[in-house]
Amino acid sequence: MAIDLNFSESEEMLRRGALDFLRRDAPQEVIQVLQGTDTGYTEELWRKAVGMGWLGIIIPEQYGGTGNPLTSAGVLFEALGTGPLPGPYFSSGILGSLLILEAGSEKQKKGILPDVAEGKKILTLAFTEPEYSWEPRGIQLRAEKSNDIFVLNGIKLFVMDAQAATHLIVAARTGKGTDPAKGITLFLVDRKSEGVSVRRLPGLLADSTFEVKLDSVKVPRSAVLGDIDEGWPALKQSIDKSIPVLCAYKVGGCQALFDMTLQYSRTRIQFGMPIGRFQRVQDMIIEMIDHLDAARWATYEALWKLDTRRPAAESIHLAKTISSEAYWEVCNLALRVFSGVGYSVKHPASFHLRASRRLYNYLGEPSFHRLKLGQLLTA
Amino acid sequence: MDFSPPEYTKEQEEFAKEVNAWLDENIPEGMTFPRDPLKVSREQFEKRRELARRLGKKGWLYPSYPREYGGGGLDAAHSAVIMREVTKRGIGLPPFHNAGAAYGVPVTLAFGTEEQKKRLLPLILRDGAVTWELFTEPEAGSDEANQQTTALRHTRDKDYFIVNGNKIFVGGIYPPPDLFLLLTRSDLEAPRHENLAMFLAPANLPGVEIVPLDLFVPGPFGGVSGQSTTGADGIKYQVFFKDVRIHESYLIGGERDGWKVANAALEVEHAVRPGRGEPMAFMGTMSRNLIAQRFLERCKNDPNIVKRLKENPQLVDSVVNVYIGAEKERLYSIRNAGGKGGVYGGTHLQLYSKMFALTLLHEITKVLGPYALTSDDQWGLDDSLFEVGQRGALCLAPMGTPEITKIVIARLLAIGR
Repeated sequence: MAIDLNFSESEEMLRRGALDFLRRDAPQEVIQVLQGTDTGYTEELWRKAVGMGWLGIIIPEQYGGTGNPLTSAGVLFEALGTGPLPGPYFSSGILGSLLILEAGSEKQKKGILPDVAEGKKILTLAFTEPEYSWEPRGIQLRAEKSNDIFVLNGIKLFVMDAQAATHLIVAARTGKGTDPAKGITLFLVDRKSEGVSVRRLPGLLADSTFEVKLDSVKVPRSAVLGDIDEGWPALKQSIDKSIPVLCAYKVGGCQALFDMTLQYSRTRIQFGMPIGRFQRVQDMIIEMIDHLDAARWATYEALWKLDTRRPAAESIHLAKTISSEAYWEVCNLALRVFSGVGYSVKHPASFHLRASRRLYNYLGEPSFHRLKLGQLLTA
Repeated sequence: MDFSPPEYTKEQEEFAKEVNAWLDENIPEGMTFPRDPLKVSREQFEKRRELARRLGKKGWLYPSYPREYGGGGLDAAHSAVIMREVTKRGIGLPPFHNAGAAYGVPVTLAFGTEEQKKRLLPLILRDGAVTWELFTEPEAGSDEANQQTTALRHTRDKDYFIVNGNKIFVGGIYPPPDLFLLLTRSDLEAPRHENLAMFLAPANLPGVEIVPLDLFVPGPFGGVSGQSTTGADGIKYQVFFKDVRIHESYLIGGERDGWKVANAALEVEHAVRPGRGEPMAFMGTMSRNLIAQRFLERCKNDPNIVKRLKENPQLVDSVVNVYIGAEKERLYSIRNAGGKGGVYGGTHLQLYSKMFALTLLHEITKVLGPYALTSDDQWGLDDSLFEVGQRGALCLAPMGTPEITKIVIARLLAIGR
């Protein structure tokens, strides 16, 4: 056994394919336009992504995917994060798929996952609400049983990719017990159902997050994923597994920011010399390494642990904490080096600014994961 | 010692009443003060201009500048009252709609001829002319002396300069302005720092083209005090000059004195000499950090946030960090107001405030979560103060990047060169 931090041949192909895609099909000008749209993708881009197997990357072959390990998904999402490519790739291809895999019945897996892999169904998780929390207590939206259907009422807030999704996986409260982790049920809700309304939240830093209102939305019993009242374990499991893939996307963002900042510091001339010669600029670039490399290796180690079925809880919290902070800080540092030119909404640093803020809290803000880490380290 | 904030004397109190009565009477009807400059309509902007004109007529737009040039001729105590009362209404410090005037007036006072002072200054001080500062260029950011925009004497009409080039990251909401404070290169051969010329000139000249820039920032310090201190609002333009004729009567100082004049403006801007530029003199003094204040109130009163703080004690650290950071900012302000800032006081506070704003919004986002990131009417807290504030905090370049500001401090400490 020796340390081997290289990508496999197929991972290298995935990476190159994704980077070529960004160069050819989603260069800067396209990403700027996509960031402004409510869905984050175009039909053409979506078709191409589906063609490359990205939406089924972790879906097992028997359900129409390619059944890759999470590490491969991480490699793909790191490449996509360099864009950063907007769109529901993670929401549907990773988190959505994991939710169906973890919670769904065999029939549901067979019925849903092939469509997800083919991009015909697009999934996103609707977890958080106005009383914002990633703890089970954050799920308060009621689903009342009435004969053979459930009726959902409430608001889901800061939902990713809700406009792009064909289906929302809504975590709702069906039980009334004292333990908040009990009594949660997962529902697959067609976004076009009567009573569902989706609204993108304004604010550049909100980027692409949505308010989803469910007003007496009726869903059949068959829309329940897994068991009634027992949704939490599968929900937590799916989120935990998906987190390092999301972290990889942020690593890609950090890497792109580092590369473009380094390049700029070599070519931008002020006072008759490249600004990279100035020690204060050097300090910022070196600080970026600290964040970037911590995020990268915490992320890939967590992915490796998950794929090799090692205990990964600490690593997942570590990766999410480090990479969220890293992406945030690397953006700040890059903007300080670019200064004026980076303030333009057309500059890629500002694309990353939006993504770094939006993803900072998603699937648990750093303080949430620090709390969990603290509990694990002192239990 | 006495740390209590200055209170009005009896006479000042009377004057404050007078100011308020006047403001009640003269603030244009329906004038609103949205947090996000992008939400200021053209109509609202015109109301602001109208108020500026009314203030100018009264002598209160620039209360302490000399009466003969259109200022109010008031002493510091009375000026302070006007500024404080106006600020209380959330309007911001006059002039709240342009930065060029803040530097254009003091440099004209220092370097202009008597004729220029009489002709140009009343336009700003009395009539409320909007003046854009046109210093920054694509190749002259931190390196301000590296001007590429040329102003060369016309070969035949020797009274005129012909200006060619472009300025970037300049101006403010709703062009065109009335005047430009324009830094140019007047000599292609002369050595650095001896090759520049400064103009305070009309903006509506043939050959000038103003193109908007699409930036994400709502303005420098918008994030710190919740109101701009320079009148800048983060809405910026690129200004192109193509064979623009400017008469020599708008040249401030000598034809090769531009760097000297610019330096005087920069000293005001860098708060090295508070007092020379009236608006800057008041900057930061005693003003509490609005964002920190609103956030700390929310930590006590917002049930949602209170619950989060109980659930995760780590977040309390962030709350304490915000408090400590804001208290330091307040204490530095008091230090400066009490005359203990030494050579570096104003500049140091400027640097601190910029860097603190970054930390502040980071800590706040930890506690408020995505609520700090949206400007939604329903879900954006405190009139979107935090989302707008964060975008503002990221804008570190105006008035010099932190790196340049450190150089300024080092020079003030006589270790710079």
